Amino acid sequence: MAALCVFCGTAVSYRLFLGSRVSLARGQGLWKAAAAELQTGTGSQILRLRHTTVVTTKKNVAALRRETYTVDFIKKQIEEFNIGKRHLANMMGEDPETFTQEDIDRAIAYLFPSGLFEKRARPVMKHPEQIFPKQRAIQWGEDGRPFHFLFYTGKPSYYSLMHEAYGKILDVEKHQNQLRARNLFSEKTKTKDLIGSRWLIKEELEEILVEKLSDQDYVQFIRLLERLLTLQCGAGEEEFVQRFRRSVTIQSKKQLIEPLQYDEQGMAFSTSEGKRKSAKAEAVVYAQGSGRIKVNGTDYLLYFPVTQDREQLMFPFHFLDRLGKHDVTCTVSGGGRAAQAGAIRLAVAKALCSFVTEEEVEWMRQAGLLTADPRVRERKKPGQEGARRKFTWKKR
Amino acid sequence: LGPSGWSLSPFPVTRSGTPRAVSVGSSWPAKMAAPAVKAARGWLGLVLSVRSVVLRLPGLTQVRWSRYGPEYKDPQIDKEYYRKPSAELTEEENYERELRKTQLIKAAPATRTSSVFEDPVISKFTNMMMKGGNKVLARSLMTQTLEAVKRKQFEKYHAASAEEQATIERNPYTIFHQALKNCEPVIGLVPILRGGHFYQVPVPLGDRRRRFLAMKWMITECREKKHRRTLMPEKLSHELLEAFHSQGPVIKRKHEMHKMAEANRALAHYRWW
Repeated sequence: MAALCVFCGTAVSYRLFLGSRVSLARGQGLWKAAAAELQTGTGSQILRLRHTTVVTTKKNVAALRRETYTVDFIKKQIEEFNIGKRHLANMMGEDPETFTQEDIDRAIAYLFPSGLFEKRARPVMKHPEQIFPKQRAIQWGEDGRPFHFLFYTGKPSYYSLMHEAYGKILDVEKHQNQLRARNLFSEKTKTKDLIGSRWLIKEELEEILVEKLSDQDYVQFIRLLERLLTLQCGAGEEEFVQRFRRSVTIQSKKQLIEPLQYDEQGMAFSTSEGKRKSAKAEAVVYAQGSGRIKVNGTDYLLYFPVTQDREQLMFPFHFLDRLGKHDVTCTVSGGGRAAQAGAIRLAVAKALCSFVTEEEVEWMRQAGLLTADPRVRERKKPGQEGARRKFTWKKR
Repeated sequence: LGPSGWSLSPFPVTRSGTPRAVSVGSSWPAKMAAPAVKAARGWLGLVLSVRSVVLRLPGLTQVRWSRYGPEYKDPQIDKEYYRKPSAELTEEENYERELRKTQLIKAAPATRTSSVFEDPVISKFTNMMMKGGNKVLARSLMTQTLEAVKRKQFEKYHAASAEEQATIERNPYTIFHQALKNCEPVIGLVPILRGGHFYQVPVPLGDRRRRFLAMKWMITECREKKHRRTLMPEKLSHELLEAFHSQGPVIKRKHEMHKMAEANRALAHYRWW
């Protein structure tokens, strides 16, 4: 059955998957092709979000070709987006000049509240660059002759990039040889901050080049860039390489440190929660104490008769060399014996973050004390005895 | 399809990360992916890591997966590693430290602590002795075994003369480690299919396999060859002491394995790795 195509005026914009995927992906194709376009109604200030749907008729073979968006079309979309952004800002009572993408997202979520679980199916208003896939312009002229000299390699942008990188390496080596000839070459190794950044992944590189790459291509390219880095290169080459690096977050900054609280006697304490499997724990760690731990009102020696659980409770304190220095009162519910111990360990470790330097917090994180264990019991599957165990195989 | 980590179950795998690339030696997808995955790391800090290409075969789902994504690294629990001042570290260690600050780390397992009394070999042995998930029982058996070893050695010590006392080892942990080391075979046999028949080909064993075999033989021996009324700690302590002195049935089994490998040495050329 042919889906409706809702569009007026310009050509239908849709994105179809090639070949046999069409029939399978039609259900998804409807939503993937939902290019949210903003279009101001003629003469009205109201914005309408449009979903363009896919036209799939089995006989229409010509429609299976990938539709190209013309440059004019994209430009028009960008203009409409900018105008629409200003209208939206006016509607929300904000300043159109300083209306950012986050403001747009919040405004759309406010004006078009959607209860759909699939986030990608919700109404969205983004810059057309992010919605329409990047496409390559026609790469040959009217006489059929291609513009790029590497067109017949099949991956012109990739090979021209490799060509450029290799050219830079040769230049740097030539320059160094000249310096060596004049005895001006100095072996200084400047250590660059390579830890705060990572190389582009293959998908990102494909996105930049608008071409499909193989893994070997990607590896070769990264090797070239690394080779360029090992030579001492100048500022131009550094900039060239930095284009292909993305920064990486320092994980320790994400750890939330609870602020200290003070009770009636003026003693500092810190509260925190922890979870493990289905056990939930809340721990209150006092700054001064003698190492007493009370779990659900009972001493930890009575609550956890097994040594392993008590070792887990002691682990954060022993790691920070604060074994007899804090008192802990905690409540725990759910889970089993070891799960409760793990939950209390996490809660205690998080609470101890408030008493300890940032460096030690990072040490705790690297020791695995501040990560909630995501492992849960795997469900039983139909047709099997358990999660993994299959039924006894019978020959007949 | 068992060892390759793939299965024919159409059941969807719901988890938070990507399936871990299977790393069994003989499975062909992993063999292709392994060279690509290896990170070429120069000390300057240039890490080349390629996403492992894991093939998606229609009708097969990967079953060896983990709740952690592939980017999660194992935790470093040793306290001394962190207490070392940065002046003492080499360049590599410095780089390693800086790199770990950007990596996501898994949670520490419930069996590991930073305690000085923890021994990874003992933990592994305890887990292998465990039946039906009864870790409490396995651990108590282990402690009773070590206590029994210590008691026996102390009895011998007190009964011996002065010169002999110097030679008697009383630390149960050293006895345990030495006993297991004495039980480790150097060479093993692997069944290789050639011309429709399985031949037992002698093959050098890796460290892990050797340790595993030593522990497995020890446990099997103690379970099977003991009287119904003797308890496991008693039997195990006896076997450990015998192995410490390179005597006893486990050592004998190791020697038999070596003899068979020696007997089949004509087939050694069947090995291609």
